[in-house]
Amino acid sequence: MEIKTITAPFTDEVLSQLKVGDIVNVSGIIYAGRDAVLPKIVEMIDEGTLEQNDIHLQGSVIFHTAVSPAGVGPTSSNKLEIEGTMPQLTAAGIRMHLGKGALKKETIEMFDKYNAVYAVIAPVTALLNSKVKAKRCVAHPELGMEAFYELQVEEFPCIIAAAHGQSMF
Amino acid sequence: MSFDYNEVVAKVADTLVRAGSTFREDKKEAYRRAIASEELPRAKWNLETILENAEVAQCNRSPLCDDTGIPHVFIEVGPNRAVTGSLMSAIQDGVREGLRTLPGRPMAIMGDDKARIDMSGGISPDSDALATAPFLIKEVDEDVLRVHVLMLGGGPAIRGITHRIFHKHSIDVVLDEIVARTKDATKMLGCTPCAVAIGVGRSQYEATALMMEAMVYGNFGKQSPMEQYITDKVNETDVGPLGLNGKTTVLATFMKVGPQRASGVRVVAMRPGCCFEPRIASVEL
Repeated sequence: MEIKTITAPFTDEVLSQLKVGDIVNVSGIIYAGRDAVLPKIVEMIDEGTLEQNDIHLQGSVIFHTAVSPAGVGPTSSNKLEIEGTMPQLTAAGIRMHLGKGALKKETIEMFDKYNAVYAVIAPVTALLNSKVKAKRCVAHPELGMEAFYELQVEEFPCIIAAAHGQSMF
Repeated sequence: MSFDYNEVVAKVADTLVRAGSTFREDKKEAYRRAIASEELPRAKWNLETILENAEVAQCNRSPLCDDTGIPHVFIEVGPNRAVTGSLMSAIQDGVREGLRTLPGRPMAIMGDDKARIDMSGGISPDSDALATAPFLIKEVDEDVLRVHVLMLGGGPAIRGITHRIFHKHSIDVVLDEIVARTKDATKMLGCTPCAVAIGVGRSQYEATALMMEAMVYGNFGKQSPMEQYITDKVNETDVGPLGLNGKTTVLATFMKVGPQRASGVRVVAMRPGCCFEPRIASVEL
């Protein structure tokens, strides 16, 4: 099996070449957030306060995970507050939503308008721990493990589950 | 008190760490069989990755999954053994010690009833603030005091269902409804392959207790005809590992049927355990 390595943040050219079923290793700077914080990130988009908090969503990834001493691993991306914020986050620049679980058809169609993709990552926390090279809380530290983090990651193994209007679900 | 308090704490703590970091051999063997049977390369790769993760977690005694789960304790008590309040306190302390060691994900919500529901009380930063679910205690013929620690994750809790089935005097009606519920659940779960746990009882409480018992005694290498039927039917869906297609949506089904009442209804608890469940380890005290 061919495994491509792609580095975040992504260019449109890289995203255009991704196909459903591709196995990719994701490296680079990505963001991590889930149920509690993503609606608050949408509020920050509306208020225009992301840049002043050194958060840059253009071409980036949001990994749906908590960040805690136990490690990282995907939560269900089809939870109300996660899938429900994907339109605003995608419009604001996110180009890869990384998690697990089936998404709605309309969400997958929405991604296509922005050349964005959905990737699935196995909940393999023991393997992922050695691939997280640095982490930094960038917003809402009061949410503890559900705060918004910036992660520097190396070769996260992912499968493209939805791209260009196609999906595995 | 007729036991060594510190010894019980240490044994239970070690058991919790093993539960959160280790696949039992029957589960590893089920994964090997599934890897050998998958034809779709990505399905095979997903299963290999999950098994590799388990080997690394066991070696490091580190969490299999970042959702380390809510601790549940199931105790078997033989005819000449006793569970006292002090023993239960020691087990609770062992759970807390285990959560600090694993470490458990700090996810206990603080505050009063309302605050714990809407999360306005905030999240405790301490791994050991996570309260244990109420203990289940079962009398057994074997002269033993055995503690099983299970760590139950959030994904299966979202997709699990406890609800009645009108049986219409047909086992097929009940099994097919269980299959239908499990198919829907596994489609949305995301962290397949599942170990499906099922309890059939007379009340919601009894069905759920039986479902827990099914997880405690379930063996991936032994399937009753009813368990195998459910496994095979759900595997027809092609949901596959991580929901990305393949033959292996369910690795095994663990089903426990309790006493039933003269009535047209059966209460069924179904939990689609994720690819790591049941996360369980046991110790004799």
